[in-house]
Amino acid sequence: MSEKSTPLLAVLQLLRKYNLKSTEDILRKEASLGDVECESLDLPEVELASILTAHHTESDPFTYELAYDGLKKFIENSLDLYKYELSTLLYPVFVHMYLLLILYDHVEHAVSFLEKFGIEQEDYYQEDLKKLSIVKHKDQIKGNELAEIYSTNKFTVQLSRDASSQLKRYLHEQKNSSVIINIINNHIQIEVHDGPGRTQAQVRATAGGVLGEPMKSENRTKVYYGLLKEPDIQVLPAPVEDEEEVEETPDKPKKKKAKKDNLFMKKPKSDPNAPPNDRIPLPDLKEIDKVEKGKALREASKRVQLGPDSLPSICFYTLLNSGHTAISCDICDDSTLLAVGFNNSNIKVWTLTPIKLRGMKSAEKLQDIDREAGDVLVRMMEEKDRDTCRNLFGHSGPVYKVAFDPFKTMLLSCSEDTTVRLWSLQCWTCLVVYRGHVWPVWDVRWSPHGHYFASSGHDRTARLWATDHHLPLRIFIGHYSDVDCIQFHPNSNYIATGSSDRTVRLWDCLTGSQVRIMTGHKSTIFTLAFSVCGRWIASGGSGGDMMVWDLSTGGPAASLPPAHTAPIHALAFSRDGTVLSSGSLDCTIKLWDFTAITDESPIEETLNNPIPKEDKYLLQSFATKSSPVKGLHFTRRNLLLAVGTYESSA
Amino acid sequence: MGDSELAYGSSLTLDSMKVIAESVGIATLGDDAAKELADDVTYRLKVIVQDAMKFMHHSKRQKLSITDIDHALKIKNNECQYGFIQPDSLPFRFASGGGRELHFIEEKEIDLSEILSAPPPKVPLDVSVRAHWLSVDGVQPTVPENPPPLSKEAQKLESVDPISKLSKPSNKDSAGKPICGKAARLKASESVHVKQLATHELSVEQQLYYKEITEACVGSDETRRAEALQSLACDPGLHEMLPRMCTFISEGVKVNVVQNNLALLIYLMRMVKALLDNQSLYLEKYLHELIPSVSTCIVSRQLCLRPEMDNHWALRDFAARLMAQICKTFNTSTNNLQTRVTRLFAKALQCPSQTNNETGPSMASMKESEKTPLASLYGAVQGLAELGPEVVKVFILPRVRWLGERVEGALSGIGGADRLAAGNLKHQLLKVLAPVVRQLRQPPDQPEDYKRDFGYLGPSLQQAVSKIRSSPSCSTAGGAVAVVTCTPPLLPTAPSPSPSNISHTTKTETVTTRNLVIASSTPQSPAPSTPPPQKFVIVASQQKPTQIQSSSGTGHIVVHSSQPTIVRSQNVQSVVVTSGPAPGGAAQKLMVVGVQPQHNQGQVSQVCDTHPHYTHKHITTHTYTYPKNHTHICLKHTHTHTHTTQATQHTHHNTHTTQHTHTHTHHTTHTHTQHTTHTHT
Repeated sequence: MSEKSTPLLAVLQLLRKYNLKSTEDILRKEASLGDVECESLDLPEVELASILTAHHTESDPFTYELAYDGLKKFIENSLDLYKYELSTLLYPVFVHMYLLLILYDHVEHAVSFLEKFGIEQEDYYQEDLKKLSIVKHKDQIKGNELAEIYSTNKFTVQLSRDASSQLKRYLHEQKNSSVIINIINNHIQIEVHDGPGRTQAQVRATAGGVLGEPMKSENRTKVYYGLLKEPDIQVLPAPVEDEEEVEETPDKPKKKKAKKDNLFMKKPKSDPNAPPNDRIPLPDLKEIDKVEKGKALREASKRVQLGPDSLPSICFYTLLNSGHTAISCDICDDSTLLAVGFNNSNIKVWTLTPIKLRGMKSAEKLQDIDREAGDVLVRMMEEKDRDTCRNLFGHSGPVYKVAFDPFKTMLLSCSEDTTVRLWSLQCWTCLVVYRGHVWPVWDVRWSPHGHYFASSGHDRTARLWATDHHLPLRIFIGHYSDVDCIQFHPNSNYIATGSSDRTVRLWDCLTGSQVRIMTGHKSTIFTLAFSVCGRWIASGGSGGDMMVWDLSTGGPAASLPPAHTAPIHALAFSRDGTVLSSGSLDCTIKLWDFTAITDESPIEETLNNPIPKEDKYLLQSFATKSSPVKGLHFTRRNLLLAVGTYESSA
Repeated sequence: MGDSELAYGSSLTLDSMKVIAESVGIATLGDDAAKELADDVTYRLKVIVQDAMKFMHHSKRQKLSITDIDHALKIKNNECQYGFIQPDSLPFRFASGGGRELHFIEEKEIDLSEILSAPPPKVPLDVSVRAHWLSVDGVQPTVPENPPPLSKEAQKLESVDPISKLSKPSNKDSAGKPICGKAARLKASESVHVKQLATHELSVEQQLYYKEITEACVGSDETRRAEALQSLACDPGLHEMLPRMCTFISEGVKVNVVQNNLALLIYLMRMVKALLDNQSLYLEKYLHELIPSVSTCIVSRQLCLRPEMDNHWALRDFAARLMAQICKTFNTSTNNLQTRVTRLFAKALQCPSQTNNETGPSMASMKESEKTPLASLYGAVQGLAELGPEVVKVFILPRVRWLGERVEGALSGIGGADRLAAGNLKHQLLKVLAPVVRQLRQPPDQPEDYKRDFGYLGPSLQQAVSKIRSSPSCSTAGGAVAVVTCTPPLLPTAPSPSPSNISHTTKTETVTTRNLVIASSTPQSPAPSTPPPQKFVIVASQQKPTQIQSSSGTGHIVVHSSQPTIVRSQNVQSVVVTSGPAPGGAAQKLMVVGVQPQHNQGQVSQVCDTHPHYTHKHITTHTYTYPKNHTHICLKHTHTHTHTTQATQHTHHNTHTTQHTHTHTHHTTHTHTQHTTHTHT
């Protein structure tokens, strides 16, 4: 349609709406428009209104450049106190000006506008601008993911009271051009806060979200980030399988050991921040699970204390001959099994110990077994059929995530084929296929207490499931783009999600509502990890940047210096919570001093401390031999296990 | 604005659209339609690629693949692109003609029947898991599974710009010791110094390693030496010890050249070879130490105690090959390495007439060049020969006449050593020159022409050339390999061994050179049908027919072998068995068996006497066995070196001899030799 006919059609539609037949006919005759074109009058109301109201001033492409330039000059010349806060306005204004120019068919002006001012925008917006720059026609706005996000949502900007009054005064002066006022009215939410204007660093710390910073009100809900009280577990006397320990301390009286265990269990008393234990119903522990828990506690008592002076040993598992095919991996909690998901839909499970993987006996044979026997679980398993590696077939697309349940009897996997599958590690078959996501599922995670799991995907939702329901229990909606990663809070009451819209959100499993939204990441978030204490969450992104957030406030606790040069796909906290490890596609594993990161003592950035605090965070970096790191896991004794695929240079 | 165009992408051109339209049968596509289509197609392609990026990221890759595009199409409800499988990037070809430029993908027509009849492709290897320690308590062990602690590029950077190391306060990326406690305090106090020193300290493990390696490399145990050299050639984390290794080598060469200690020089050259072979080392920083050492081993006047007996030729050949390798690897336009090395060798070959033509040196230098020992000439010829036929043509060929005169003079002279040297030089010259001359001259090879052009060496050269011409296939094969064929035929007099004169030879030799010499046993019949008893040095690696070298009477045997080669020798001082570079790049093996000056012939003859019923007596071969502390002497530059070494030699040797006695009394001669071979090689 030609440039001139759009407003004409809009007028025609308006006339028809008010049933002004004769005027419509005359206009149509005068503009020599055919009947066909008039039949297809279905401009949306919003567009119609904006076309009609803005026709006089806003269709003039030259006013945009002038208006933007004026706004930029105003912000540059304002006091430092307001400057940085006000500068957050520039990007949304710029984006909407571009979209308006496209909407009014001034494509050439739009392109030159983008070229002139696009480079001036913050570096973390450049990728979005590149995505937006492909939109060159108003029809494309409707279908484009990013353009739609911008045109249907409001961009939030936080300004101090003074800064906002400055802005108001400026806009008042610009009577002859209503462009900026219209954009701010229609597309920008200005939230006024009472504090003083923020500094550049403060502004930068929370900037970066697709739609700006979160509203203050969104982060007010109390989050119970404390840990649940551990159920009392009767620690059985050292079982036979723990031979090593028996050998080590043959003459040690058993009493002493029991005492030690008890000491260990006393630790979680009543955390004021902990949710009530029955806030969400948790499954009862089965007898075998209790044995497993007991084992875990015993192992934990032998844990190595880590710190800047005692770094963990790293055992690196290289997947040979896998090339680019191995795309996801997980190591079970007691570090005996390794599962790897491949892009050819296959899942492989390896045993990392000399104990072979065994299948279950056939149904007929199972009937013969005495169910009351003490070793019924051992008898169930096949004696001959042993293997160090087993395959699980069932998916029909790349397996983006595999996850062992806390008791290593089941495995979850999610795939491009939009399904989540539950596998038994005893029968080695698929038990359930969970369908619900309509698009590829990017991530799936177990609740630390089992039974529940959460998944997230390309459909911009995260879902909470229980293994015994084939439909999700909760659907968390709010992200503007793909939900790339998900993680359960250690107390199973919350779920954190990271997304391509560069926000991390925390959702309450009980109510299904969003309780925290955290902005400040400058790139897509690919991995999340909760600290052991439950208060902090670390996130790693595609740009190799890492951030640590405080759940109590919802603000960033630290932005780690950009040490990685490629996307981070693995994060893991040591079991004692002192060391954070990150693994990246740049073939390095880095260890960070987490106690220093969360150190809340006032920062002494005085003259005698020239080294900025951030420089002390990184403890050590280990390079692998052209093996991108795809998974990290701390054993109960604080040995770091890493998984990578060897990619030859050829 | 070019920058912004790059920043915000480009779009398909109208021409592209028209070409594509043509390819699907629309001959005339209007400009407007093309524009409309180009915009739309550009938009859609970009959207698909943006979506595909998500799949790439979630597949934990950094390279977009065709499957990503397929998945992106799938979520847009489009059909996948079936049949496009390309593991690597597709190269775009460019073509222009008729004023049009075209980029296209090369697609070959595939014959289906060919695929059907072809054997099925190999099943790819199954994925397997392998574990190793990336870090032990915060320190990265230097195992092959880990990357080298300092990459070759970093080593290069350090050598080019040493200050970069100082300016970096803490090199956290290189896995070293964790900076904590004492180290941190040291670091803090370091900032007080005006001038920072790049401290270069070795850990205790590294010191131990250094000690072990250097001892093994020059020690007596051949298997240990092989292991040590293997370690030097393969281990990734040696760069920290490299300066010390190079000093060890250069000091070792200095000392041992003075000592005329052939075996040790060979061991040191093998160390150089191993270091050169190590892929993770950047040696350029240490060439100033290595090159003089290597060139010393090529052109030195004397490399062994008895030039008439010992086979120092093999060492010269080996070192020359090393030099060629160094030149090939490290020659750059800034260091002009090859030019300088070539000049060095060419200077040694300077004949009087040549010098006159050049910068006009005084008579003194003429005299001097006249005096250049034949051994050095040999080395220089060999060194130049290794640098390629072009170098031979330019630097050796013009001097053939003069070299011939030298050879002629020496051959007709009295000195035995000189005659031997002249013989070797002549042989070497013929070997080196023949292929070059063959290229230069046209077939009718007249001895007279050659005589006219090349002087004394002319006729022999003519024979060699015509020989090559008649067998063109093998002419090129031997070029790259330095130590080939056996030298004995060149030797002046080779007394044919017969049982009658064995005892005689033995006696005289023992008296004159104080060597333990026992004549060869079996008559000349080579390759017995029965499996030969293990009394021979057997080395395997290249594909060449089995050679059986049977030499008699004199000093040195050099065998270039590939197949198991049997060296049967008598009166031999050293046997050098080498093997050329194996096709697969297998490790080279150089074994040196030599005879140590004996101080107790009495005992040996006694040995012989105790077994009078053995008609055949075998040669006993000795390696140069040096005590371990020798290496330290080299390192510490102790001046008492000579003394200590010789003293220990004595003791050491004595123990050995007693061992022989023991063996002799209990075994047959055959097993005896086997035994000695084992203990000494």
